[in-house]
Order: sequence, then structure tokens, then C-alpha cells
Amino acid sequence: MRLLERDAPLATLHRLRAEAANEGGRLVFVEGEAGIGKTSLLSAFAASVPEGVQVLLGSCDPLSTPRPLGPLLDIAEGLDPTFGPLVSESAPREEVLGSLLRALGRPDRDLVVLLDDLHWADDATLDALRFVGRRIASTHALLVGTYRDDEVGRQHPLRVVVGDLATSPAVRRIPLAPLSKASVAELSKGTDLDADELHDLTGGNPFYVTEVIAGAPARIPATVRDAVLARAARLSEAARRTLEAAAVIGPPTDPALLAGVVQGPLAAEECLAKGVLRTDGRSYVFRHEVARQAILDATDLAERLALHARVLAALEAGSEADRSDARLAHHAEGAGDRDAVLRYAPAAGRAAVAAGAHREAAAQFARALRFAGDLPRVARGELLVDVAREHGLVARLDVAFPAWEEARDIWHREGNAEREAAALTEYAMLLIGAGRNEDAEAASRRALELVESMSDGAAKAEALGGQAYIRMLDRDNAEAIELGRKAIRMGEGHPAAAGAVVAAWNSVGSSRILLGDIDGGRADLETSLRLALEYGFDRRVGGAYSVLYSALGEMYRFAEADPYFEAGHRYASARDLDGNRQYLEAWRALSLVHRGRWSEGGALAASLLARPSTTIARMMALLALGRLRARRGDPDAWTALDEALEIAAPTATLQRLGPIRAARAEAFWLAGDLDQSAAEASAVIDLAIAKAHPWHTGELSWWLKQAGRPAPKATPIAEPWRLQLDGRWREAAVAWDALECPYEAARALLGSDDPAAVEEAHARFDRLGARPAQALAARRLRELGVRSVPRGRRPSTRANPAGLTNRELEVLRLLAAGLSNAEIAGRLVLSTRTVDHHVSAVLGKLGVERRSEAATAAARAGIDVQNGQAAGPD
Amino acid sequence: MPRYLVERVFPAGFELPLGQAGLEVCRGVVGVNDDLGVTWVHSYVRDDRRATWCIYDAPGPEAIRRAAERNGLPVTRIARVSVLDPYFYTPSSDST
Repeated sequence: MRLLERDAPLATLHRLRAEAANEGGRLVFVEGEAGIGKTSLLSAFAASVPEGVQVLLGSCDPLSTPRPLGPLLDIAEGLDPTFGPLVSESAPREEVLGSLLRALGRPDRDLVVLLDDLHWADDATLDALRFVGRRIASTHALLVGTYRDDEVGRQHPLRVVVGDLATSPAVRRIPLAPLSKASVAELSKGTDLDADELHDLTGGNPFYVTEVIAGAPARIPATVRDAVLARAARLSEAARRTLEAAAVIGPPTDPALLAGVVQGPLAAEECLAKGVLRTDGRSYVFRHEVARQAILDATDLAERLALHARVLAALEAGSEADRSDARLAHHAEGAGDRDAVLRYAPAAGRAAVAAGAHREAAAQFARALRFAGDLPRVARGELLVDVAREHGLVARLDVAFPAWEEARDIWHREGNAEREAAALTEYAMLLIGAGRNEDAEAASRRALELVESMSDGAAKAEALGGQAYIRMLDRDNAEAIELGRKAIRMGEGHPAAAGAVVAAWNSVGSSRILLGDIDGGRADLETSLRLALEYGFDRRVGGAYSVLYSALGEMYRFAEADPYFEAGHRYASARDLDGNRQYLEAWRALSLVHRGRWSEGGALAASLLARPSTTIARMMALLALGRLRARRGDPDAWTALDEALEIAAPTATLQRLGPIRAARAEAFWLAGDLDQSAAEASAVIDLAIAKAHPWHTGELSWWLKQAGRPAPKATPIAEPWRLQLDGRWREAAVAWDALECPYEAARALLGSDDPAAVEEAHARFDRLGARPAQALAARRLRELGVRSVPRGRRPSTRANPAGLTNRELEVLRLLAAGLSNAEIAGRLVLSTRTVDHHVSAVLGKLGVERRSEAATAAARAGIDVQNGQAAGPD
Repeated sequence: MPRYLVERVFPAGFELPLGQAGLEVCRGVVGVNDDLGVTWVHSYVRDDRRATWCIYDAPGPEAIRRAAERNGLPVTRIARVSVLDPYFYTPSSDST
């Protein structure tokens, strides 16, 4: 069939292939509805690439539970001889993806990789796509993925990946449009069909159009499905039976398998001749998946069951290369063969777990569970644990929670305390992630009771470690340390408890930091980090960095924490640990806001919030933005602080509510609403005191004091807050300065009765751009009898000291770099005369005569010539 | 996208050159804004040219401040606003 109206997308693909070879790899998504011609476009492209370009094709299976990394297995052989074994032997993710990236990056060949039907891709393939997509520019390959955009909803995992990659300049999208009326008319030439009607009914969908024409009916079928069936109805009985068998087997259909499954004469040749099936010489495929699905749906149910059973038997007997458990499980379920499902689905699930395809693993275990009604209790319990764990990992809590509960009950009735405790502990961790802290606490406590009388071992270490983690999150730090240390003692020397031990070091270290034992806590967390790196526990490494950075931040040790941000961010980015990366970034934004680097902090928080992120990262980014907007007197502070509180409320933990309530108290104070400010502080101060949190207790006590309310007598309180609460303004300011917190330092000075101190606060707020606090300082100065309240450096002077225009600043920057007027003109694409004019204006405004004096004068006027406050587009 | 009113004070007055140079300045501002997802709708300039009130569409106040920094423009105050006109409550003709 001729390819109509696809010249432009084809040209784009060729252009991007050349770019990929010469400038750096590209990833293209070809999008459109089923039948729009995505695969045809790929075929036409593959047939027309220049000689010497290697083209590899990987296809995703239309099975309900596809083979993990199926498309990568398809391309493995052509890609690199060492790559295939890595995939099929379930090597660690890093190795597989690293090897894939290296293969794509080999400079000695021009490579095009086509990945068809990504809407069916398994999780591991999508993970690989995201990994490679983010780094595609470092390769020389063109990667083309196709998908049905109308079947990929907002929540679809592929949509998330596409959205994530879309902002990269190396990633493009090519939407395919339906055929025009003119093309439909051209295709229908020589038939009796009305071209306008054909176009209207088919919506210009090329597959639909050609099906109708091939079926050549008197009347145009109402749906593409009807068109396919009308066409099949014109085939012989044998051909239709062959077609039904091929539909059940699925693509690509092995001819030998087909022959073994069809009862009666095989009529593959007729199907090929009529164009319903196609062949690449090795196997058969339907001309389009829509056609296969239509035939499959129309196949009599009993016939379909029988076909699946025969396919299953043939696959079991044969030595076909693609005898994967996933495929066997698919046909076993299709045949309704309980024993076969229970044989193959759990095995397929375990293979998917090993490949990191958790969505597929969850589906395989769930499939087995559907057939596990009368399974012996222990076997059912084991299956439930797999179902629960995998559904938990893919956030299908509606399945995971009941599965954990049933598993727990089964182990209880079996009297297997060890397994019951293990299930309860894992269940508790999942409940924490869902913000159901109370239920988590109950489950974890029950697990602890169960292991109490047990001898040391993995189960005991895990239960203790789980409880230590919950106590740490609740900031019951002394308990967390005790339990965590016990868990470490129990688990050491038990390989099965390695994860629990690493996690326990993390909890103990965090709690020590939160109790003020910074060095001890850091050492414990570094132990957790080192062990996690040794064992290759990626998530625990990411977790250790996150906690080191955020716990030090919670103790206002921002500068000390910086190295953990940098190392952690590098680690998390390289491994696509997005949750860890986002949490580090959210805390980075908070750190920057507290350190007076408002512009950077605001930009980082805003960019985090502009994209989907984890709940806790979003919460902390909202906190950063809420603090910043309130301090600047900018609008939308409450939008951020209200959403932050809404997310934090169900956690009922000090870790979230402490800082968010404090920020809200601050915002009310800045707005002059002291009652509301006190109400926010009161809401959480008892919790802060109960958990002995020195920083939250300090800040919340301060807001109560500002509102004239008695603050509960509480220890411990962090040094700067204690000084401030004791009225020792100057010392408090020094302490805040030592922590690199300029706004907090100025706020301490504002509490003084000494006009000189308040004036300094006023000047500091001015420099920060803290308008509301600056206004409070001005009012305070008038109260103290200061007649002439400084008006502060004027806003325009701050932004642009010499009153230079944007263009003049640009000219100044180049001037200071030693460029001549002609060079500046070239750089800015202006005429030399215009530049002459700008240069004399710049010199005039700076009050100098010679251009050699411009840089010095600019520096004197407070203009940063290097970075150019007006770094314009150049 | 939310809309904001941005107040800018220029104590020494602000200069907008005429002709080609003025066009260049405006284009530069629009270019920088564009990178940050900020749209300058229009501005009101006080007759003495010492203050302006600019209407912006932006994802948030941070983006407006960043654009101002890059353009070398002062920001005195930002308010979130929406449009109200005298005919807001006038029933449309086809409903009568």
C-alpha cells in the first residue's frame, strides 16, 4: 500500500537521524490513534535510511502482562552481543541500562532503534526508556517510539514518562494526522464507494479506509471492527479458522506453532494472499493489531478456550525460543487451566520482579490469585505476600492492603509468628507511606509483641527496625535509638536482615541528629550509607543522603549539609531515584530561602511544584515557597501554606506540622494578625515540646511570645531561639549569622529596644527585599522615637544602580570585557552607530569619560558586571 | 495562568529610547520573559515616568521577580489581580 500524506513526518525523521549522528542522539515519539499509520511510517522510514545505517526494531506485546523488557530482547542481538544475556539473565538494572546506553553511544556506527507500540510496554521497558531518554543526547542513536495517544490516559505510566522527557531539547514528538478527503478519494478510486462518506465515517483513518476498500462492501461498515469482520467473512472457512488461531497465538505467530494449533487444513497462504496476514519470512503478523483484536473478540468462546489450551500444550511440548513464563501464563489463563496458571503466573511474576517490572509482576501474582481459591493455606499465604508487596510498590493500595491483612491472618492461624511479624512490619511501612500513621503504629506494635520471645534473627531485627523507624518519624528519638540499636545487634550476621540493619542505622542516626548529637548521628548515617553502597541497595543509599541533608537542615545546619546535597543529588539523578532527588531539591529550596538566597530558592521550589513529585517533596517545596512569599510580601503565600497544611494534616507528625505551622504563624505575624499567629503556634507547640525538638519549640515559643501569650516553659530550646526569647538580641543575631540565616538575624534585632539595632534590622530587611518586615521595623523605629526613619535604598537603585536600561547593561558588560564597539555590534546584532550611541549613554550615566574607566565605575555603583544583573539574551 | 499587577518605582525616572532602540529594549524584555513563562500584557506609566504598573501573566510571583532581575527592572510590589469591567454583570443579548 502506498503511504499518503506522510512526507513531512518522514522528512522530520530523516532530519533527526542526521542530527543524531552529527550532534547527539535524539528520541522521537510518533503519536496517533490505532490505525493512523505509525507502524507503516516506521517501515517506510526503515526502508529509506541511507546505506550503512543499522535499523533495529523492538515491539511491545499486546498481552495483558507483557514479557519484561520484551522490546529490548528483540533488539539485543543486533545491538551488542553482550547485551542479550544481561537482559535474559536479569542482571542488575544498572548493568542492563549502562550497557544499553554504551551500545547506543558507540561512535563507530549510525544506529536507529524503533520501539513500536509503547502503550503496551512493561514497566521495566518504560524505566529503560526514561533512563535512556534522559541521556539520549550523549549517544549517537536515533530512538523512535510509537504509541496510541488516545489510549494513554493521564495516569498511564507511559504518559508520565513522555511528560517527564518532553522538556528535553533532544526529545521530539510527531503527531500523525488523519488522511485528507483528497487522499481518501484517491485511495477509493475505482470502487463504488462515495469518497466523502468514506472519509466522514472513517475519520480519515488509513487502516479503516483500506479495510473498507479491501472488503469492498455495498455499504460502509460503521466501525473499523465491522470492516475487519466483513473482510474476514469473505474468506474460506479454513482461512477463518487459521485466522482465529493466529489471533489467539498473538504476534509474531510462529508458522509451526500455527500449524500445530489449527485443526483441519491450514490456510495461511490464503490469508497472506488476501492481505489479512503479512509475513517477514519467519513469522506471521496481522496487518494491524486492531484486526487481530476484532477477530479474537468475534471468536466463539468455547473455540477460544480450546485454542488457548492447544497453544499452551504446544508451547509446553515444544522448544520454541519464546517459551516464556509470561506467555505460558497468558495462555493458561485463556484456557482457564487452573493448574497451569498456578504453575506459570508466579514464575512469570518472579521474573518480572527480577527485571524491575513491578506492574507486570503485580499483574502476574494477581492472575495467580484469581485461580488460588482452593490453594492450601500456606501456599495461598505465600502468594498473598507477593501480591501485596508488588501492588504496594506500584501504589495499588486497594489490592495491597487487603492482601497484607489476609496474609497476616493466615500466618496467625498457622501459628507462624515469624511470618506474621514479617507481614505486619511490611504492612506497617506501606501504611506509613499512605499517611495512615496510626494504623501503621498498631501493626508495628503487634509485630514487636510477636517477636519478643523469639531468638535473634532477621524477623526480630525487621520488627524492631520497623518500630525504630516509626519512632524516629514521630521524633520519639530516645526510643528510636534504643530500638534501632537492638535491631542492628539482632540483624548483624544474618544476611536476610541486611536491609533491616541498613534501615536501622539510618533511623538511629537521624534520631541522634534530632537530639542534637550531630556528629554521632552523622557517623551512624554514614555507616548506613556505606553499607547500602556495599550491598547495592540503591533506594537505601538515596534514603541515607536524603536524611543526612534534611535532618541537618531541620537543625539549621545548612552549610554543613551542602556536601550531602551535592553527592546525593548526583547519585539520585544518575539512577533515576526521582523521589530522593525531589526531596533533596525541596530541602535545597528551604535551605536557600533560610540563607537569604531567595531568588535561587524560589526558582527551585517553583520548578519542583510545576511538575509531578512525591507528596513529601511537594509539601516541603510548598513550605519553602510559602515562607519566601510571606517574607517578600508577595501574593499567593497562603495558596502555598494552605496546600502544605492540607497535605501535612493527615500525617499528624511534628516533622511536617512543626515547620508548616511555624511558617503560617510567621505569615500571620507579618500581616499583623497576632491572634491567628498564636493559634497556629498553639496548634503544635505541645507536640514539639513532647518530642523535645529544640528548633520547632524555639520558633513556636517565639510566635506565642510575639502575640503576648505565655509560652510553656520548655527545654531544650536551640541556642539562637533561647537567646532571642531571653531578650539577648545582639547575641541572637550573631548566632543566626553564624548559621548563615540573615533574615532570622535581622528579625532578632527587630525585637531590640535599641534604635541602632532596629535600624540595622531595617537595613538588613531592605537588602533582602523583605518588605513586610521592613515596614514593621520602620513602625518600631517611630515607636522608639526615631524621627527620620531611613527610607532604605530605593528599589530601583537596588535593581539598577546607575539607571541603565537593559540594553545598556548588556553593552556595559561587553564593554567591560574589552570588546570594541564594532565587536559589540556584532555580538548584539546591532548597527555600530546604535552601539556608539549606547556606549556614550553608558559612560554618561556612569559619570566617566573613558571606556577604560567604565568597569571600575560600574563596580563602584554596585553593578555586577561579570554576571550582569541584566543578563539579556545574547 | 494567574494574572499579577507589578508596581515598579524608578526614583530617577526610567528611559525608554525611541524608535529602533526602544523596540530592541522591549524585545529583549519579552525574550527574557518568554524563557521564564512570563507574559508582559501591558503597562501603565505615570506621567512623571517615575513609576509603572505592569500587568503580567505568570506561573507565580517568583517567575516575575526572576524576569525583573534579568531585565534589570525594579519590583516594588506584586499583587494578584483579576479583570472586572463595568459590563461584567450585563446580561448577554441572546439570553433575553
